[in-house]
Amino acid sequence: MTVVSNFLAFVALGLTLLLVWRQSWRGRVRLFVGQSWVLAALAVALGVLARRPALVAVGVAFAIMKTWIIPRVLRRMAHGSPLRPVAPGRSVGLPVLAAGALIVVAYAVMLPITGAAVSGVPTRSAIPLAFAIALIGLFLCVSGRDALDQVIGFLVFENGLFALALLTTYGLPGIVEAGAFLEVLVLVLLMEGVLVQIRREHDSLDVDRLRELRG
Amino acid sequence: MIVLLLALPLAAAGILARARGHAATVLHGVAVVGTLLAGLVVAGGAVRGTDATALGGVLRVDALSGWMIMVIVVVAALAGAEAPRYAAHGRALYALLHLMVFTMLLAVSTDDVGLMWVAVEGTTLSSVFLVNFERTRASLEAAYKYLLICSVGIAVAFCGTVLVYYAEVVRQQALAEHSAHALRWTTLLALAPSLPPRVIEIAFVFLVVGYGTKAGLAPMHTWLPDAHSEAPAPVSALMSGVLLSIGVYAIARFKPVVDAAAGPRFAARILLALGLLSLAVAAAFLWAPVNYKRMLAYSSVEHMGLVALGLGFGGALGVSGALLHVANHGLAKSVLFLLAGRIRAAYGTVELAAVRDLVTALPFTGRAFMIALFALLGLPPFGLFVSEVMIFGAGFRAGHPWLAGVALALLVLGFAGLLRAAHRMLLGTAPAAAPPRGSWLGTVPIVAALAVLVLTGLAWPPGLADALALAAKAVSR
Repeated sequence: MTVVSNFLAFVALGLTLLLVWRQSWRGRVRLFVGQSWVLAALAVALGVLARRPALVAVGVAFAIMKTWIIPRVLRRMAHGSPLRPVAPGRSVGLPVLAAGALIVVAYAVMLPITGAAVSGVPTRSAIPLAFAIALIGLFLCVSGRDALDQVIGFLVFENGLFALALLTTYGLPGIVEAGAFLEVLVLVLLMEGVLVQIRREHDSLDVDRLRELRG
Repeated sequence: MIVLLLALPLAAAGILARARGHAATVLHGVAVVGTLLAGLVVAGGAVRGTDATALGGVLRVDALSGWMIMVIVVVAALAGAEAPRYAAHGRALYALLHLMVFTMLLAVSTDDVGLMWVAVEGTTLSSVFLVNFERTRASLEAAYKYLLICSVGIAVAFCGTVLVYYAEVVRQQALAEHSAHALRWTTLLALAPSLPPRVIEIAFVFLVVGYGTKAGLAPMHTWLPDAHSEAPAPVSALMSGVLLSIGVYAIARFKPVVDAAAGPRFAARILLALGLLSLAVAAAFLWAPVNYKRMLAYSSVEHMGLVALGLGFGGALGVSGALLHVANHGLAKSVLFLLAGRIRAAYGTVELAAVRDLVTALPFTGRAFMIALFALLGLPPFGLFVSEVMIFGAGFRAGHPWLAGVALALLVLGFAGLLRAAHRMLLGTAPAAAPPRGSWLGTVPIVAALAVLVLTGLAWPPGLADALALAAKAVSR
């Protein structure tokens, strides 16, 4: 179980780094979908290995939502935006370097979590990897110049936290997990509404244009 | 009874989503009064010391929950009474308002940490559309920031919740099947002394950042002035009056767990730092405000900072001061936001410089605004004076004289700025007189709220002291 969880979490982190490096929006959505497949596989694998049918169901629900419904909404969100590189004229190397540094930070922060004398949690060695995915997502969200970047950054962050919950406690009790899924869905739909209106008002999703409110 | 209290606003939201016209307003009124009465009954029992549970213990109302329910239903009634003035612009207002009240009530009346998280996230989602109610460029921007920043914050709190659960797993040294009791406050509190301290410390940092974002504590407050100033008045009143306090409530619930697991100083230090920073950020802005709704919003950052200080100073005095301050601030700030909405309707602007001679232009609104502002400033005989004295008293008693002194100085800075703004708005020479509007009916809830504020300041009604002590016991053991 340790091998499986380490491998899948590592692949998911690799896809996250690719996502930071990739500059086209469509490419980023594809990488997000790929990452979501890997995490769904992680949930199903843990469910099978630990004999928890509920976890398999969570994995299936996660796959339906993150690889099918949300990407559809994301493509609708971007519909009508000019197809341009995400950040013209900006270095790609620097964000990737920052993401690398965040992996180190993730290991440092999670030291007391994984380092404690813990037995009975076979997946614990992969916990910092999940936390690193979350941190990199947060970094994408904060550094994004464009509302679409910020949304995909948030979704990567969310995926990282889902992985963290899987690896630490095999997910949360059913009602909380269901509530969390429902809310991500509502959030993305609300976000679509807001972005459509922002584009109508400003003719762009560049967050630098949002400067009505100061002080 | 708890189930009824939760079902009422939820059902009202469902029905009002379809209702229209005069019937909707009547139904809204019935739902507001019903929620108020049910809330007061539930809260009245709980603050006298009889905990109520429902649905197999998922819902549990103790004195602390009861106190919060009381604040929520009273502020919701104030906001609900004002809502018909705004409902003409869009029918969704009533339904979303009741949905928001439902999520807030659920957040404070559940025993389950996970369900509380779901409910707090629900408060954000149900209010995003309300922030963007007027559909201007500014309100759109505010809604976008609100949705993004609060969602990130609440996701961080999710991470904290997961780590608390993990601490239980570490304690058992095994990953058992998810039990329905694992994430209950009652379970957590009982296990707290044996939970691994380092894990709980990290979890608490995540929880404070996450729920602190919802509470508008600096430096996570950046969404607050935008959202609170752009939302229509009843929504601003609910958001500033109680929604912020629910973030603080969540932190306060985790505090005894952390105190028992990691020692009492860890949580206190973080809360004191955030509280002081909030006071400083607010004082810097309040020194020279230009927009009176933003001024009220920054004042909320200041008061949430005070509440955090009260919790950080701790002890029975500090915690009960913080809880009393939550109620006092909720009343004063919601009244001020409702009146600010009326001022805006009359003058057509939120610029401080454009509002002059309020007392002659709008006799009732102007005077009530003045009185409520004095209450907010913490002048006697209003309740905020008493709760602030309690909080600072706890600070001096807990051995933080320097910290309390600096906080007091920052409070005075904010005080001066607010007073100057008030002076300009209320007096000064009148521009073209704005037409007074509204009937005497609109004055009733405002006067009632101000009267309660005098009551908590001058003469505590019988039972208040006991209720407060009982509620504080849930936080500081």
